[in-house]
Amino acid sequence: MSAQNGNSQELVTLSIDGKEVRVPKGTNVIEAARSIGVEIPYYCYHPHLSVAGNCRMCQVKVEGQPKLQIGCNTPVAEGMKVLTSHTSAEVSDAQAATLEFILINHPLDCTVCDQAGHCKLQDYHYEYNARPSRFLEEKVHKVKAEPLGPTVMLDGERCVLCTRCVRFCDEVTKTSELGVLNRGDRSVIAINEGRELNNPFSGTVVDLCPVGALTHRQWRFNTRIWFTQETESICPGCSTGCNVKVAVRDGEVVQVKARLNSDVNKEWLCDEGRYGFGRFIPKERVLTATVEGREAPLSDALLRAKQILGEGPLTIFVSPALRVEDYAILKKFVDGVKSEAEVVLAYRERSLSALEQILIAPDYAANLRGFEFALPGSRDHQARYTAALQKLASGSAQSVLFLGDLALSWQDQSLDIAQAITKNHRTVAMISDHAHPAARSTVVLPTTTPLEQAGLLINRAQRLQYAEKVMAPPSAAQTTGKWLTQLAQRFGLKLSAAVSDRDLSIEYLGSEPRLLGLRIAAIKPKGIDLTSFKPGEVPSHTLVEATSLA
Amino acid sequence: MGQHRQILLKNVHCTDQHTIAGYESRGGYSVIRKVLNMEPAKVTEEVIKSGLRGRGGAGFPTGKKWTFIPKGTDKPVYLVNNADESEPGTFKDRVLLERDPHLCIEGMMICAFAVGARFACIYIRGEYAYPYQRVRQAIRECYAKDYLGKNIFGSNVSLDLVIHRGAGAYICGEETALLESLEGKKGQPRLKPPFFPAIRGLYDSPTVVNNTETLAALVWILENGGEAYAQIGTAKSTGTKLFSVSGHVNKPGVYEVEMGYPMMQFLEEECGGIREGRKLKGVMPGGSSFAILTAEEVAKATLDYESISGLDRTAHLGSGGFMVVDDHTDIVEVALNFAHFYAHESCGQCTPCREGGHWVQKIIQRIARGEGLAGDIELIDSICSQVQGHTICAFGEALSWPAQAFIRKFPADFKARIREAMEGRVQHRVPLNYEFQAAH
Repeated sequence: MSAQNGNSQELVTLSIDGKEVRVPKGTNVIEAARSIGVEIPYYCYHPHLSVAGNCRMCQVKVEGQPKLQIGCNTPVAEGMKVLTSHTSAEVSDAQAATLEFILINHPLDCTVCDQAGHCKLQDYHYEYNARPSRFLEEKVHKVKAEPLGPTVMLDGERCVLCTRCVRFCDEVTKTSELGVLNRGDRSVIAINEGRELNNPFSGTVVDLCPVGALTHRQWRFNTRIWFTQETESICPGCSTGCNVKVAVRDGEVVQVKARLNSDVNKEWLCDEGRYGFGRFIPKERVLTATVEGREAPLSDALLRAKQILGEGPLTIFVSPALRVEDYAILKKFVDGVKSEAEVVLAYRERSLSALEQILIAPDYAANLRGFEFALPGSRDHQARYTAALQKLASGSAQSVLFLGDLALSWQDQSLDIAQAITKNHRTVAMISDHAHPAARSTVVLPTTTPLEQAGLLINRAQRLQYAEKVMAPPSAAQTTGKWLTQLAQRFGLKLSAAVSDRDLSIEYLGSEPRLLGLRIAAIKPKGIDLTSFKPGEVPSHTLVEATSLA
Repeated sequence: MGQHRQILLKNVHCTDQHTIAGYESRGGYSVIRKVLNMEPAKVTEEVIKSGLRGRGGAGFPTGKKWTFIPKGTDKPVYLVNNADESEPGTFKDRVLLERDPHLCIEGMMICAFAVGARFACIYIRGEYAYPYQRVRQAIRECYAKDYLGKNIFGSNVSLDLVIHRGAGAYICGEETALLESLEGKKGQPRLKPPFFPAIRGLYDSPTVVNNTETLAALVWILENGGEAYAQIGTAKSTGTKLFSVSGHVNKPGVYEVEMGYPMMQFLEEECGGIREGRKLKGVMPGGSSFAILTAEEVAKATLDYESISGLDRTAHLGSGGFMVVDDHTDIVEVALNFAHFYAHESCGQCTPCREGGHWVQKIIQRIARGEGLAGDIELIDSICSQVQGHTICAFGEALSWPAQAFIRKFPADFKARIREAMEGRVQHRVPLNYEFQAAH
């Protein structure tokens, strides 16, 4: 397992390439080297899977051992002296040879391969071999496009047989759909008889594949990776807060990868989160402010909204996918403008199978804990939400404010609710989707989607994480926090001076005593565990976290 | 002809030796009765004293191997008799299993008693249909007489013995791949370290894996004492060894000789010399996994571990699969045969062996076809150097050592064929066809 989870706090001192390094007992040589910035290349090793030791890429010279050792399977020992390819010709020769071996039967189809540009075989070849192949014979031919299930396609020729996908299905999902068929150079990853790779995390095997052997069926031959913008963000699907890397091209999500974070999602991601990432992008976009269905100047819309919110009882439906900063502004807004308003978090639970529960949270509420952090109070969200929804549907609700598209849960975005909203002439909605029931509101303000906003999230385990903006919003769309700030201004209240999302986060972190001393740079890499965080303390990261391989 | 004490083969010529009655009429199952009254540690001590080394190929001291079994473990201890005998040129265990199965079983009883194993298994080569029947029959006879099962021979020791047939994979002779196979998985060697079979073997429990010949030798050692066994042979290679002789000799077969016997004398006297009066070209004394010895080296060698390894670091007494080639043999064809074998039998788990084995095979095949190129010999040498020592199990050495020895010791054979090709004198050679179809 990873160095961070070393069972013992006992430290061991060893030297790698002559540099002294102290790491917890039980750490392997790869992780120990990584902690001082020395790269040891590997394919089959993964910090959260069992050690297979089959790729032979991570060989190192350990003083006193006659043969080269594989770093993944060599735990550190006191006084151990390790030489890597950077200092030992024997090691660099062995690694170059391993690459040559891997490549002799590997097709040179980089020109059409989806992995090109983010392929470890390409990278390592340039870094550790970079010689022309001496192989003159005919390559072995294997299956080129074999569907393993509804989501994943196999190209057997590109496979380096690291068996990470097999081990993932054996050890993590425990569904064991995959295996290795045949022997020698005829070996090929195959689906076990009568099975299909259709577990709820099937797409993860593509992330784990260090080469282009496994590809997403829905994203194959979509784009070259260098034409996309890749952003490290957080999945807004549920309150697990999986770390992801999202590739976007022309406003379209073209690939979603899991990002390694040992404390959250390891390097796994559910198919719903991955393949459903684009569900947050509306097909028909609210692009301008409207009043009673007609396009209106922003000042008119805000004025009308002020009138609606100012009079009578008010119910505020809040999306659970907003940022902590938005909730903090909402709190100030409610306190300053409408302290009797009923603030309801749109929260619904769902039932999950035992397998789904290894990662997925039983909600659609990415920032449930963030809401509770900013707006302490009743935690019986589902009951309050369904009661408020009932009131809305029956027409007895008076003024209503919708904050974000998920202010109505996915399953509540129904025709009944749309009709109730149409009949109610005292509704304000900050949403992005024109087909949303709340688009029938009296005032509609164009708002960002969860993918278009940077900011803080707190996951169900109370981990504070920073989500980057995956794509830019249309020019008129603003975050709910900004709309609230503008509305508050009309009530004579100044909530925030921030211009950008980043300013807002900085402003918020500077003003929140419970997060004293935190900066975005400290939160971004792995998040901050709020259960152990003491305000004012600067969290120290002793070990560098493994970077994503695939 | 040398006078060799017959420890293992002394009764194989008796036609009823495979029956329990025949075996017992020649003193069978008397040693285990004696051993059952000894201290288990004393048994191990005798074996250590005997200097017996594993006969499967690696030559590791047997008694020492047993001492690795943790004392006072709460897990069951298993004993596995490695009768996979998949090494090319090796058929010595077959004789024992077929002609004297009770000797093997009695040896297993001794070992099981010494290491405290309650369950034992014979993993027998899948192709050994007849020996399988013989051993199965022998096990049944033992159960019928309560020699196996609960309280064997009326003692308080119990031992259950099963026989399991392999499915024909060479790699399942490697002890950890054998254990994987026994557990019902694909036969692939395990990573060592962290756990060796003696600590976590079969079903994660301490396991002793010994070769059939090793186990069979225990009967004589416990009957006559470890010191008596150590008197035979040389100081470091004690006792007798079975050699399964094949190839271009007049009298191929299985011979039991005392260690330290001159190889040339063995070849000339026991094996009857090279067939048709030809000259010796080379000998592979320990199966296909080690280097070939040239005629000059054979003249200097004696049949023991130290002498052979001393002549060539990559040569070894190995399993005693003694293959002889005469001077009419083209080493290119021999090398091709071996390369095919190793390419076919690689389990495919780790990169150097999976890819390197096939690469070597394809190059040698090209040379054999008369399409060799300048630089091919150096290329084979280079590939072999990068396979050995870089794999999970010893298969990497097994495929590269012999190939390297062929090209280094008999470069003329290879160069001749390559020169033909380079000079345009390709003769449309058709090498022996070992081409296998892809398995799917």
